[in-house]
Amino acid sequence: MRKTWAIVMVGVRQVLADPAYLMFLVGLPVMMTWMMSFLPVEVYEMAILGVLVMFVGLNVITSAGGYILGEKQTGTWQRMLASTTTYWHIMAGYFIRLFVMATAQSLILLLSGKYLFGAPWDHGFLATIVVLMVYIFAMTGLALFLAGFLKSQEQVQAVAMGVVMVGTMLGGIFFQIDDPSFVIKLIATVSPQSWAANALRDVLTLGVGVSSLLTPMLWMTAIGTILLIGGVMKLQTEG
Amino acid sequence: MILLEVNGLKKAFGSRKAVNGASFTVRRGEVFGLLGPNGAGKSTTISLICGVLKANAGSVVVDGFSVGTDGANAKKRIGIVPQEPALYPTLSARANLRFWGTINDVPADELEEAVNYVLQVVGLVDRADEKIAKFSGGMKRRLNIAAGLIHSPKLLIMDEPTVGIDPQSRNHILETVKNLKDKDITVIYTSHYVEEVEYLCDRVAVMDNGEIIAEGTLPELLEQGSQFQELTISVDTIPDEIENAIQALPHAEEVIVQNEQLKLVTSNAEKLLPSAFAAIIGLGGTVSEIKIHKPNLESLFLKLTGKALRD
Ligand SMILES: Nc1ncnc2c1ncn2[C@@H]1O[C@H](COP(=O)(O)OP(=O)(O)O)[C@@H](O)[C@H]1O
Ligand SMILES: [Mg+2]
Repeated sequence: MRKTWAIVMVGVRQVLADPAYLMFLVGLPVMMTWMMSFLPVEVYEMAILGVLVMFVGLNVITSAGGYILGEKQTGTWQRMLASTTTYWHIMAGYFIRLFVMATAQSLILLLSGKYLFGAPWDHGFLATIVVLMVYIFAMTGLALFLAGFLKSQEQVQAVAMGVVMVGTMLGGIFFQIDDPSFVIKLIATVSPQSWAANALRDVLTLGVGVSSLLTPMLWMTAIGTILLIGGVMKLQTEG
Repeated sequence: MILLEVNGLKKAFGSRKAVNGASFTVRRGEVFGLLGPNGAGKSTTISLICGVLKANAGSVVVDGFSVGTDGANAKKRIGIVPQEPALYPTLSARANLRFWGTINDVPADELEEAVNYVLQVVGLVDRADEKIAKFSGGMKRRLNIAAGLIHSPKLLIMDEPTVGIDPQSRNHILETVKNLKDKDITVIYTSHYVEEVEYLCDRVAVMDNGEIIAEGTLPELLEQGSQFQELTISVDTIPDEIENAIQALPHAEEVIVQNEQLKLVTSNAEKLLPSAFAAIIGLGGTVSEIKIHKPNLESLFLKLTGKALRD
């Protein structure tokens, strides 16, 4: 636990020392949220949630791949493995770090959406937190799973774009797709982005309670857990 | 008393055999040199010893613990100094050492003391709180050594710790390694610099193409190479056929051509030199300088492999 915590803290300190990364993490999505606020109000609130789930997804996947590849390049990854530290310690450290960062990012976006840019949300904040946690958990699992397979920063960028853009755009968040084909319907059903944006809207504007979202949340959590364990097992076969 | 036993170690990357049946032993308290040119398989061997890579075959036993079956106990006894400093540039020297101490199971209440001690060993006490991004290459390499020592390992494995740094930092590192002996730390010192290995090491293994081609104390190895001498002949514009021409002469064991120089290993310098000289002149070359070296690890390596250690 001490080791995992040390890995988390080193990671957080690195993020805070990197202004460009903070810009990508917070500055860019806040700007996008602001731009969305000029849209007509019927599409605005969904668009703003779309921005949130999209940037959280991008952040988590690029960060996970970026950290692991970066540490492999500087050799700190190998140095950790030369100690008694296991993949479980390391991945737990990354997991917590990603989770904390994505949570901070989401809260900044939600609060700025409501208080700076006037999103019409006035209930369900607790349920919002629960949905967000589940979404972030699933995406972090996916991100760490993918990170084990990626060999370069370019691959990380491409996969992050691919997974998140397909999930967000074809998931019908920013625009309704008329007469969707089977593939598009499938994507909208399995995409965590699509699920999270819709669930957040239901919670924030319709005041839907957590209990009616229980089944999809359990699914998301299960997928996140399986991917996380799969990710560690993939790394263990390296070398 | 044996601290490390490496036996029949093999590791391939695809079809490339990086380590191909390496065996050697390191005794407690010695500085053990692992000498070999770039690409010999030194770094891969180190990664196999400390369990970062898994071997295809062979065994590594550290202080009685097998890296394969009792990795945790083996790893606790090993400190590693990677070829490139493996540190976090945006953190201070002290923060880096605290991190590596924690990762290597130094108890929380001993951590500060351990950090201060290794800072003092590598002479970085007064720079401890600066971000290491501002450090020179030599200082980063010294901190890299400190991080390897943070958990008081019995065996410190150093991978080419002086490559690409200024002479002053290099001397500092060489003296640090010398002093480790008094601290009862066994050292494996990997290098392709003959002078460093000759200066520091009690025993040496010579590695090439993933294999250990000679192992022994420095005097033993020099004895093995003592019937050979190395000549360096500097020639202005080396004629193409010179290598074959000299190779054909009696007493010429090995000939290599390298930056306007001929390096010859010979069993008899007095006999070879006049005929080599004549051959060079005959082919239109002009000799500008001739050196006869006393037997060293370089000439042994040249004799064993037909290659220079450095290119
Ligand atoms: N991860 C790797 N993948 C593929 N080939 C590698 C890898 N690591 C090392 N090699 C190859 O194995 C050989 C030995 O490399 P290395 O152990 O780094 O040698 P040295 O440290 O003696 O210079 C080289 O030919 C190198 O290219
Ligand atoms: Mg090397």
